[in-house]
Amino acid sequence: MSMGTEKWESRIIEYIDGKGTSEERALVEKELASNEAHYLLYEQFREVIHTMDKAETLQPSSKLTSAFETVLRQEIDNQKKTRSTVFFAPTMYRIAAGVIFVMVLLGVGYWVNKNNEYEKQLVELKNQLEENRRMMLARLGDQQSASQRMVGVSVAYELETPDDQIVEVLVKTMNEDTNSNVRLAALDALSKFNTEDNVRQALINSLATQKDPVVQIALIQLLVKLKEDGVVKQLEKLTKDASTMKAVKDEAYTGILKLS
Amino acid sequence: MTKSIDLMSDEHIMESVKNGDLQQASLLFDRYHKRIFNFLARRAMDREVAEDLTQNVFLRLLKYRHTYNPGMKFQSWIYQMARNGFADYYKQQKHHMPMKVEVEKLMDQVPEGIEALDQEENENKLIRALAQLPDDYRELLVLTRFQHLKYEEVAGFLDMTVANVKVKVHRAIGQLRQNYFELEKL
Repeated sequence: MSMGTEKWESRIIEYIDGKGTSEERALVEKELASNEAHYLLYEQFREVIHTMDKAETLQPSSKLTSAFETVLRQEIDNQKKTRSTVFFAPTMYRIAAGVIFVMVLLGVGYWVNKNNEYEKQLVELKNQLEENRRMMLARLGDQQSASQRMVGVSVAYELETPDDQIVEVLVKTMNEDTNSNVRLAALDALSKFNTEDNVRQALINSLATQKDPVVQIALIQLLVKLKEDGVVKQLEKLTKDASTMKAVKDEAYTGILKLS
Repeated sequence: MTKSIDLMSDEHIMESVKNGDLQQASLLFDRYHKRIFNFLARRAMDREVAEDLTQNVFLRLLKYRHTYNPGMKFQSWIYQMARNGFADYYKQQKHHMPMKVEVEKLMDQVPEGIEALDQEENENKLIRALAQLPDDYRELLVLTRFQHLKYEEVAGFLDMTVANVKVKVHRAIGQLRQNYFELEKL
């Protein structure tokens, strides 16, 4: 394309957009009236530009809003938990809370025993847990919907202690899920169970294979927080890998400094 | 009360979110989720993918709220996150991108009336013509023509001069015109 043609194309686009001084617009009008090829160009540009102007605004499905609300609720809950941890931070408070908790448990146990309903309640509780577990695994396995898998991970997050199957599914989700949010949520859920040996090992293993930078950063921060000094070599490897994103490398450097 | 919330700047709201008032993030979601979704849907050419990527943008907004710099325009920050999210997706997918664009993956309305039918036909052609553009040209057209952002705003977060944005947008429209009328010949 010659410079002349590109210049005229630009002038015609400006003209259709209603821009330019009156002199510039008059110049374009004169050209269009006398040059058939440029008039055709004008007609074609006008059709393309008008089609873009009138193009429909695409509407996202309601799933997007509900998924955001779930994530926001989860984040607000996390924030509350962090705040309450800070509140109980002094050792005396923690001891006092522990003593009260044990006393309440003993009282409740005594009362339940006395009323001979302990077995019955235990069975009901087990049934409820089993139902929650089934529902959670079904949602985690929903390949069609990222938001359903997100709900599955949120349910897992609420568990006090996970069994091996749940850990296995969460690890698989963290490493292989196609959706970055779901992978990150699975990592969040696993981080809650970090005292379990198999969970810690799975987190360490994931660092070597994880490719999502957001998950990589969160994983490094978690392993540093857990003082897993065995991952230093893995972090060094990440800093030397050309395919590692700069933000991940920065986090890895910080991790090496803190763990060494 | 509603009026005062409506008048609050994006930057002011984001600062509140950063300082721990997470509920305020809903206001930013209401203001931006359709724009971000449209930006990503027109670039990825796929609504399902765009929904996942949009969700990811707002998740990052919450997770990395502490990294928001109050001196930065919120709009630039959120578009930058959307661009980064798309770049990651594009990197993963570029060897698997379909050669032929499935227009129905993007369009969702059944047109009524002759004029609407004409517009739908033109829009189908437009989607295919857009899909043939280099990604940087497509991004510029989505931002300036579909999202109606000013050249100054786009220049701000693409780290380009305004004059450069204008030249590239005009070239992109020129290329789009050629693609569009080539398709008409088929």
